[in-house]
Amino acid sequence: MTSSFRFLEDIALADSAFEARGGTPSELFTASALAVIETLADPRTVDPALTKTVSRHDHSLANLLFDWLGDIVYLKDAEALVFRDAACTVSGGRAGGEWRLEGRLIGAPIDPARQDLRADIKAITKHRYEVRQDKGNWIATVVMDI
Amino acid sequence: MHLQTQMTVNKISDQIWEIPASEKPGMLVPARIYATEKILTSMDSGVFEQITNVACLPGIRRYALCMPDGHWGYGFPIGGVAAFDRDTGVISPGGVGYDVNCGMRLIRTDLTLADVAPRLELLMTELFRRVPAGVGSKGFVRVNRKEFAEVIRHGARWCVERGYGWRHDPERIEERGCIPDADPSKVSDYAVERGMHQLGTLGSGNHYLEVQVAADDRIFDKRTAAAFGITGHNQIVVMVHCGSRGFGHQVASDYLKLFEQAMRRYGISVKDQQLACAPFRSQEGQDYFAAMNCAANSAFANRQVITHQIREAFSTVFGQPAESLGMDIVYDVAHNIAKVERYPEGELVVHRKGSTRAFGPGRPELPEMYRETGQPVICGGSMETGSYVLVGTELAMRDTFGSTMHGSGRTMSRAQAKRSVRGEQLQQQMARRGIIVKAVSMSGLAEEAGFAYKNISDVVETVDLAGITRKVAELRPIGNIKG
Repeated sequence: MTSSFRFLEDIALADSAFEARGGTPSELFTASALAVIETLADPRTVDPALTKTVSRHDHSLANLLFDWLGDIVYLKDAEALVFRDAACTVSGGRAGGEWRLEGRLIGAPIDPARQDLRADIKAITKHRYEVRQDKGNWIATVVMDI
Repeated sequence: MHLQTQMTVNKISDQIWEIPASEKPGMLVPARIYATEKILTSMDSGVFEQITNVACLPGIRRYALCMPDGHWGYGFPIGGVAAFDRDTGVISPGGVGYDVNCGMRLIRTDLTLADVAPRLELLMTELFRRVPAGVGSKGFVRVNRKEFAEVIRHGARWCVERGYGWRHDPERIEERGCIPDADPSKVSDYAVERGMHQLGTLGSGNHYLEVQVAADDRIFDKRTAAAFGITGHNQIVVMVHCGSRGFGHQVASDYLKLFEQAMRRYGISVKDQQLACAPFRSQEGQDYFAAMNCAANSAFANRQVITHQIREAFSTVFGQPAESLGMDIVYDVAHNIAKVERYPEGELVVHRKGSTRAFGPGRPELPEMYRETGQPVICGGSMETGSYVLVGTELAMRDTFGSTMHGSGRTMSRAQAKRSVRGEQLQQQMARRGIIVKAVSMSGLAEEAGFAYKNISDVVETVDLAGITRKVAELRPIGNIKG
């Protein structure tokens, strides 16, 4: 399968939640990043002006995804960036070894005059946070505090 | 009565409901919900589940409380209040929230609606220009890391010393705008980097800056209102709702992660991962307290810089210094915070999450000017309805650890609100009703439509009838700025 995500309405009344899917961890991480990106701004209105790279590793795939999504929130505040696209490669994790992430985020400095900005995410939360495998697919449930 | 829970909920009075400690394994105290029957039946199931989870936390005293604006939150419900023994109890970031010291500030003026109405559009444009809002906005105060450490140590006092405020402003802020036990060495670089450029910004979501009117017929207690500087006669006031921005959000995230590991060391188990906590007296507990106080001070500073910009905007539009427009702060209250406070059972760590301190008359923590009346309590409604000023009571000190409601409380999801109205449509509807709205995000505006919230008047009536605060004045919006 290819990566995809859908927003969930019934989980967080005052906030925003999504379920992301992918055939591989790389696809799952890309789909999850795109959901966060789309929460912050309409990606169609963000120019591909720059690329940020992110490298991370963790023994837990769930923790790695949590931190990767947290990086997008961090870049929004610390460097005032929003994004239009993401791509990542997740490797490792065999026999209890570390998972490794090499991620790329393509976007531009925040510019309210040019971009359709949406919600300012405060945090990726652990509420009902889950990364699981089901029939060969990787699925994540993520709730964001708005 | 049909409730969104199967739990036993006993009626204590028309405004107080109790879930006994026998209802859930591990509950150490009963849970009490302040609500009318109408509000109680509208409360989501999360409120009942979460407030009884809070009642299981180590060292909790008397009751786990939920205010009438309560709804589901992370760990604690929004509207939650819980007090823990300082020596044997815990501190929990889930009891404070991600937006540490999210709070309300009210600024009075000597202007009336007649003065402002002809220049309202100009005023809102000037405020929108001077107070950045929305995703990732940056403030006009530029600080380096060393200076930011001073901001988070000294809060609003830092701002006043640099000219962003008046000498007597801190007297009119909870904790005088500076919580002493703040240690910048306990916050991460990540948190500092997220927040150091955001001083003086509103953010988005339900945060706002609102120009409001205090009409004579909406003042319920003229004597107390006058003591607060609210004189009626269509007086103009300005309300600000915002918090500690990215800095506070990251402090909360950092310590939730740390506490997950700490709980294993201290043998604490919780019903919900978002209730992660540590003994208050432990190193981890003290570190979080010191970091959370930094975030709280950054929020006081944030609202202080915004106040400076509001005064500058009024001064520009009305051609007079803000001093001659009588633009004093009425009060500034935190509604997401944990504080050490003294009660008959000793010093307690009181967590308020979506709940406001409501100290009654005589408390030494209050400034001299409010020691006789009790403290002003500022409660924001939705941008389409009213907001309220209440006053703290002695009954609150006895029954709710000096706490009351904070706002109206959401009842509809953001997605459903957006499906019901477009931002541009809402902006036009509100303009027809005499409310000028300036918003960075039209989808964000639609999410905050009035119909997505409880009726704040119902919530206010509940706490008034329960006696844990009294109504002083209702304020009607005429201009709103949103992220």
